[in-house]
Amino acid sequence: MRIDSTTILFIILILFLLFSGPENDVISSEYEFNQLELLKSQFHQEYQSFQSMDPSTNFKNITGFKLSYQDILQNNSINATYPIPNKPYDDWQLSQRDLLLPQDIIDKITSDIWNASSSDIYPFNITSTLIGDLNVIANNYSMIPMPIAKFYDPSDDLSSTHPPTGEKLIQDWPTFGEVHNVTWQNGEVRIRIDPLNYQSPSPNAKEKVYFNSQSDKWKFLTVLITFSDHLEHERHIIDSKAIYDITNGRILLMTQSSKFHSIFAYPHIFFSNTKDHDHESFNQVKKLIDEFWSVSNYSQALTFGNFQDLYDNAITKCEYMGFFQLKPWSHYTKDQLKIIDDELQFPIGRPTNLSHLPLVSISNGLLFSPDCGIRMEMSNVQGKRYELQTRQRRNHLLIGALLYACEIYLLLLQMNNTNTPSNINKLSYYTFSMINLVDGSLGIVYFIMAGVLPDLYLLLLISAFLMFILASVFETRYLISIYASQINERNVNIITLMRGGSSFQMETTAPIVVDESQISNSLYGRFFFQLLIFTFLLIGSTTWPRRMRMGFEYITLFILNSYWIPQIFRNAVKGIPARNSTLNSTSPTRTPRRIMLWKFILGTSFIRLMPLFYVFTYSSNVFMHHKDIKFAIFISIWLLLQILVLYSQELFGSRWFLPIHVIPDGYQYHKSVSNELLLEHGTNKNHTVDCTICMSEVPVYIQDIEETHNIDKDTYMITPCNHIFHTTCLENWMSYKLQCPVCRAPLPPL
Amino acid sequence: MSSLKRITKELNDLGRDPPTSCSAGPVGDDIYHWQASIMGPPDSPYAGGVFFLSIHFPTDYPFKPPKISFTTKIYHPNINANGNICLDILKDQWSPALTISKVLLSICSLLTDANPDDPLVPEIAHIYKTDRPKYEATAKEWTKKYAV
Repeated sequence: MRIDSTTILFIILILFLLFSGPENDVISSEYEFNQLELLKSQFHQEYQSFQSMDPSTNFKNITGFKLSYQDILQNNSINATYPIPNKPYDDWQLSQRDLLLPQDIIDKITSDIWNASSSDIYPFNITSTLIGDLNVIANNYSMIPMPIAKFYDPSDDLSSTHPPTGEKLIQDWPTFGEVHNVTWQNGEVRIRIDPLNYQSPSPNAKEKVYFNSQSDKWKFLTVLITFSDHLEHERHIIDSKAIYDITNGRILLMTQSSKFHSIFAYPHIFFSNTKDHDHESFNQVKKLIDEFWSVSNYSQALTFGNFQDLYDNAITKCEYMGFFQLKPWSHYTKDQLKIIDDELQFPIGRPTNLSHLPLVSISNGLLFSPDCGIRMEMSNVQGKRYELQTRQRRNHLLIGALLYACEIYLLLLQMNNTNTPSNINKLSYYTFSMINLVDGSLGIVYFIMAGVLPDLYLLLLISAFLMFILASVFETRYLISIYASQINERNVNIITLMRGGSSFQMETTAPIVVDESQISNSLYGRFFFQLLIFTFLLIGSTTWPRRMRMGFEYITLFILNSYWIPQIFRNAVKGIPARNSTLNSTSPTRTPRRIMLWKFILGTSFIRLMPLFYVFTYSSNVFMHHKDIKFAIFISIWLLLQILVLYSQELFGSRWFLPIHVIPDGYQYHKSVSNELLLEHGTNKNHTVDCTICMSEVPVYIQDIEETHNIDKDTYMITPCNHIFHTTCLENWMSYKLQCPVCRAPLPPL
Repeated sequence: MSSLKRITKELNDLGRDPPTSCSAGPVGDDIYHWQASIMGPPDSPYAGGVFFLSIHFPTDYPFKPPKISFTTKIYHPNINANGNICLDILKDQWSPALTISKVLLSICSLLTDANPDDPLVPEIAHIYKTDRPKYEATAKEWTKKYAV
C-alpha cells in the first residue's frame, strides 16, 4: 500500500486522539495513595466532629471554619491550629464571633434576604436556568485566611512516600486560569439549578440510591453559577452543591474545596432570628447531610480525581457562600403545586394551567466570599421552569422545521420556473452559494445543538436533516446547473458580458466542453469544504472574547444577509428588460420572462430572517444568545432595501441605475447577412441558407440585394460564430444547451 | 411535428445519397423506428460482417439524440451485450446538426478505433489494451459466428 502524507497525518491524528483522552484518576505512586488516604481520614474525622455537632456547639476541627470573622479582626496574623486557646467551642452565637460572615452581612441576611413570611408557599421543584443582574457591593472586607493541608502538595522527590504534615497558607494566587478576584462593579449572572436526589455508593457503580427522606421540606441541589461583567472580559464559575429550604424558600450554597469543607457547615448557616425554628431546621439539615454522606459513602468513595479537583479549586478560586430567597408562589396551594410538578414531569393532562405558571425567581440574593472579602447582590434573577422552557423551545423548533419545509417547496417552485439554460444563466451563482452556505451551516449548528440539548434531540435532528437536504441536495443541484450554464463566462470581462457575449470573441480558443459530473464533483467538494471551514470558525468563535465575538458575528451576519446583492449585479450585467417594455425584445412573440419568482424572493428572505429575529429579540432562545433588537431591525431593513432594488429592476429594467452611455449594446441575433457570409455558406441560389436543425432553407435578408428586403430579420438568427438558423429552431435548441449546433461554440443567452 | 419533417428529410437524403458502408430505413409504418446496418470496416476484425442496429427517434428529435443500439452481437470494448453503445455524441455531446448518417459513420469509426479508456465493458477493454491479438481473434470469431 502506498502511504502518502495525508494518510500519515490521519494516523497521527487518530493516535493523538486515542492517547490524549482525559487523565484517569488513577493513583500512580505510593505517595499519591498516601495523599488520598490522608484526605479520607481528614474527612472522616471532620464527619465525626460533625456528628457530635448540635445547635449550641461551635465548629470544631473543620477545614476552613477554624477562624471566625471576629478572630481575624482581633488578630490578623493568626496562624493557629485547632484548638485555639480561649475560643468558646461549646457555645454558638448568630454573630461574627462564630461565623465567617461579618456582622453587617449576617444582619442583612436575617432581616432582608431570608425574609419569608410563614404563610408563603414555594414550589417543590425549581429545576431551571435563571438569568439576572449582579452587582458588587463591596470588596474590602477582611479576608479570612484559609490554609490548605500540606499533604496536598505534589511530591517533589520521587523517593518520598509520606506526604508532609501541617498546613500552609496560599499567599499568591496563580497567574493562570480564572481571575480569582472580581474587579468589576456590575455584571450578569446565570444560575443553573438541578436537583440532586440520587447518589451512587461508589464512583463506578451504575445504580443510584434515593437518599432524601425529607424531600417535602428540603432538597439537595447542584448549582452552577456563571457571572461576568457586561463585556465578558472576566468570567467566574461557581460549581457547587446547595440546599433548598422548601418551607421558607431559602437556598444556601457553599463551595467546597481543600481549604473549605463547607458540607459540614450547612446546619449552622441555615440560621434565622428565631431560636426554636433554628433548632428544628438544624436537625433536619443535619439529617439530610447525614443521609447524603452515608448513601454516597462520601469519604471512602473519594478518588484521586476528586482529590485533585479539591486542590485545584482551592488554589485557583475564591470560596463563596450564597444566600438566596425565592419569590413565593402563594396563589397556589400545596396540592396544586404537587399536581403541577407531576404534570410537568409526566404530562398526562392533569387539570393545571401550565401556560400561566409563574417564573422561578430569586427576590433577594447575596454572594459572599469569606477568603476574598467580596460581597455581591443580585437583582431581577428569574427564569422559566426547565420543563416549560423545553416545551416552549420544542414548539419554536417545530415552527422552524415547518418553515424550512416551506423553503424547500419554494426552492422547487423556483427551480421549475427556470428550467432552461438561458434562464438559469441569468441567476447569480454567488447569491445561491451564500444561501447554500447559510443553510448548510445552520444544519450543522442544529446538529451540534442536538448533542448539547438531549431533550430537544429529535426536533433538532429533524431540523438539521431538513436543512441538510435543502442545502446539499436541492440547492447544490441548482448551483451545479447555474455554474454549468455560466462556465463559458470564465475569464470574460464584464463589458463583454454586458454585451451579452461569452468567450465567442476569441474564436481561436477551443470551446470548453461542459461535463456535468465534473462540475458537480468540484461543486460538492467546494460546498463541504466551505461548510467545514465555516463551521469550525463558528465553533471557534464561541470561545473568543465578547467584543471580538460580537464583531465577528455582526459582520458575518451582515455579509450573509446581503445575498441579493450579487443577484442585483447579475441582473445589471445581463440586462433584463423592464416588465412592460418591448424596447429590447424586437419580436412580439417573446415577452421577457421573470427569472426570479417573487414568491421565492420574499419567502426566502422572510424564512431566513426568522432564526435571526428569534435569536436577537427573544431573550430565552435555544442558542442562549443575547438580545439586540436594533440589529435585527437593521438587518431586516437592509434586506428590504435589497428586495426593493430587485423590484425596481423589474419595474424599470435591470440597468436603470447605470448611465446610458456605459451600457454597451447586447449581442444582436437578428441582423442582415453580408454577401461574403452567404458565399461562405455555399448555397446562394434564392438567397437562402440551410438550417442544420430542421434541414430546410432559411431565406435571409441581404443588405445589397433588393429582392430579399421583404424578409423579416426576426425569422432567422445569426450566431456569433456566423451560423444561421431559423429563430424557432435555434431558440428551441437554446433551451437545452447554449452551444452552437454546428461548431459547439458558446452562445450568448437570449 | 417538426421532428417528423426532419426525419422524413433525412430518409430522403439517405435514399438520394446513400453512404458507402451503411444503410438505414424505417421498420414498417413507424417513421420513428428505424433499422440500420453497418458493414464491418475492412481494416478491422469485424471485416466481412454485417451488423444490424435499431434506431428509435424521440419525439423532440433533433433536440434530443436518437436511441441507437446493436441488435447483432458484437465483441467491442464500447458496446455491451445488450447492444448499448458508449458514444459521447449519442449522449451529452449530441448536437441537432448531426444526422443519422453522420452518427452511423461515427459508429463505423468506433469499430475501427475503439476507445478503451472510456469502456462500457471493462473486461474487453482490458484485453484490448494488454493482449491485442487475443482481442482481434475473439472479435473475428464473434463476427463469423453472429454477423456473417
